[in-house]
Amino acid sequence: MKIWTSEHVFDHPWETVTTAAMQKYPNPMNPSVVGVDVLDRHVDPSGKLHSHRLLSTEWGLPSIVKSLIGSARTKTYVQEHSVVDPVEKTMELKSTNISFTNMVSVDERLIYKPHPQDPEKTILTQEAIISVQGVSSYLEGLMASTRSNGMGNT
Amino acid sequence: MNSVGEACTDMKRKYDQCFNRWFAEKFLKGDGSGDPCTDLFKRYQQCIQKAIKEKEIPIEGLEFMGHGKEKPENSS
Repeated sequence: MKIWTSEHVFDHPWETVTTAAMQKYPNPMNPSVVGVDVLDRHVDPSGKLHSHRLLSTEWGLPSIVKSLIGSARTKTYVQEHSVVDPVEKTMELKSTNISFTNMVSVDERLIYKPHPQDPEKTILTQEAIISVQGVSSYLEGLMASTRSNGMGNT
Repeated sequence: MNSVGEACTDMKRKYDQCFNRWFAEKFLKGDGSGDPCTDLFKRYQQCIQKAIKEKEIPIEGLEFMGHGKEKPENSS
């Protein structure tokens, strides 16, 4: 299991960053996400907005592999739950892969809040937990570092 | 951005446009009541529910509730 955490400050207020985060895809910095769908969305009794989304990703397998396994099966899927609290000004996202769960588990948690020292800025804290079944922690570390190269690109 | 169901992309884009406007102009400003996107969302939901079943995507523990927790008739 590998845990990776990071912090990032945006020079924009929380409302702007949250609105942008809701429209994060398509994202040229992460072109592997090829589809986003909302599975459910509702405002709970305390006024928080819950969204459950399905992200479809395509990792660019070589065309010969696609032709062997059939192109419909080259997509992998991630399920995401987000909660936006407009009063406390927090947005929390949790996502997990739902494809290849018998092989790998990638859980991510992101929290967007106004920066404690500057309300015109937003701070994002991210955490990723990666577990690969039956493989050395070296490979898990490799996945975590690949992840880290993409995480600043919101 | 596309939908998981190719036939649903147009519905998705219309719904997204409606939601993004409501989210920024109403919800974040403290007016979370009233949702102008319900009809669009229902149509979009029915479409992707079908696509998810056809593609056998393993969504866990999720019922298709749509807005206001109303279940579509053909939910699993």
